[in-house]
Amino acid sequence: MTTPENEVATGGFWPLGGPVSKTEIALIIIDMQVDFCAPGGWVDQLGEDVSNTRSVIEPIRDALDAAREAGITVIHTREGHKPDLSDLHANKQWRTRVHGLGIGDMGKTGRILVQGEPGWQIIPELQPVEGELIIDKPGKSSFHRTELADELEKRGITRLVVTGVTSDCCVQSTLRDGFEYGIECVLLEDCTAAVETPNHEATIEILKSFGGRWGGVSDRAAFKAMLDGAHGEKADG
Amino acid sequence: MAEHDMKTFGSIAANPYSWPFDGVWSAQDTALLLLGFQNGMIAELSATAELEAAASLLDAAKSAGIAVVVARRGVDGAQDPLAARRRLLGDRVPDRHSPEWQISDRLALPEDTILVDLGGDNAFIRTGLEDELLRRGVRNLIVAGLPTEGMVHATQRAANDMGFECIAVADACKGTSDPRHTAQLRITTFGNGLFGAVAATADILAALKTSQE
Repeated sequence: MTTPENEVATGGFWPLGGPVSKTEIALIIIDMQVDFCAPGGWVDQLGEDVSNTRSVIEPIRDALDAAREAGITVIHTREGHKPDLSDLHANKQWRTRVHGLGIGDMGKTGRILVQGEPGWQIIPELQPVEGELIIDKPGKSSFHRTELADELEKRGITRLVVTGVTSDCCVQSTLRDGFEYGIECVLLEDCTAAVETPNHEATIEILKSFGGRWGGVSDRAAFKAMLDGAHGEKADG
Repeated sequence: MAEHDMKTFGSIAANPYSWPFDGVWSAQDTALLLLGFQNGMIAELSATAELEAAASLLDAAKSAGIAVVVARRGVDGAQDPLAARRRLLGDRVPDRHSPEWQISDRLALPEDTILVDLGGDNAFIRTGLEDELLRRGVRNLIVAGLPTEGMVHATQRAANDMGFECIAVADACKGTSDPRHTAQLRITTFGNGLFGAVAATADILAALKTSQE
């Protein structure tokens, strides 16, 4: 639950408070892909522990169910590159190849983080349904070289509830850039994780310590309560 | 073309890898980013040691012919919704042209400094900086500034997504707390340098000297 101290620091769920219409709110689920959080995916093949990233699947599912029930916009992101790797920077590929299996290389779930490959797909537990927005991104930030900012503007969305993996990487980049694009963002702490717990904890501490400078930090219970308090009819699909 | 433009430098002993990743850098393809070295923020963070480190980097960059980028955060009336929002949340964003907003006099900026004004933290958003750096053929960025978890990290993250090869200078950056500074730089180097590398001012200066003959 949100602590009383946090309530004071963030002014409730949204850093600048409400009231807010459901049509202005979207839930974004970042990079819950096989390569990042499924057994046999890229991170697993590297011998890294996927238990942290897997631990948030059920909480995100719960938040997703609430978002669908409330009829707010749902956005899924996928990190990946074109099959010809024309959108992959040389240093990004180099860094991942140091681990032994880099982006674009053939692994057990197809070519690592390449669009269309089995490992690049969103995990079965969190499959998008028709009408939900899918954003393909070549970088860490969901706003970098994507249509996300335009889509939000087109749909009149001014508030973003942020979930997914990993907290210290793509989630933090998306939250920070959301602020830069003038979007009010709130991270659901129990719906995000990192491969390494100290990096996750430091990310959360930094975000909390500024009382919503870049965005708020809350949890899915408060998210559901906020949806109950938001006004307006359910949006269609 | 000036003689110093053609010099290449030795790679820098950095964490977690020898920077840059492909071992090649020169004055021509490198820029020094000095972020948020403004009077107000320097005083707020007691960042005099970091300012001195930045000044030594600046002197070395100028004599080597490396491009210099300086970013200033400030409020410019209604044109800065981001800064206005930050003020509502209790952040002391300075008014443009106020004493707190000025870049420290300790930094003797060259005439061709690329000045970037912003209301947020990411020096690439709506500033044209990416295009300007690409126009000049810059690929490598040496990053210093205040605070580490604010303008420095926001800008380095964005630069990394754009493909710039970045190195943060640890002792020329200061956070709002030592743990936040340390944690943010650890996240920078995680995963074989997810957002680039980290080194000390002395490491940068030593590498620049390798070409000064």
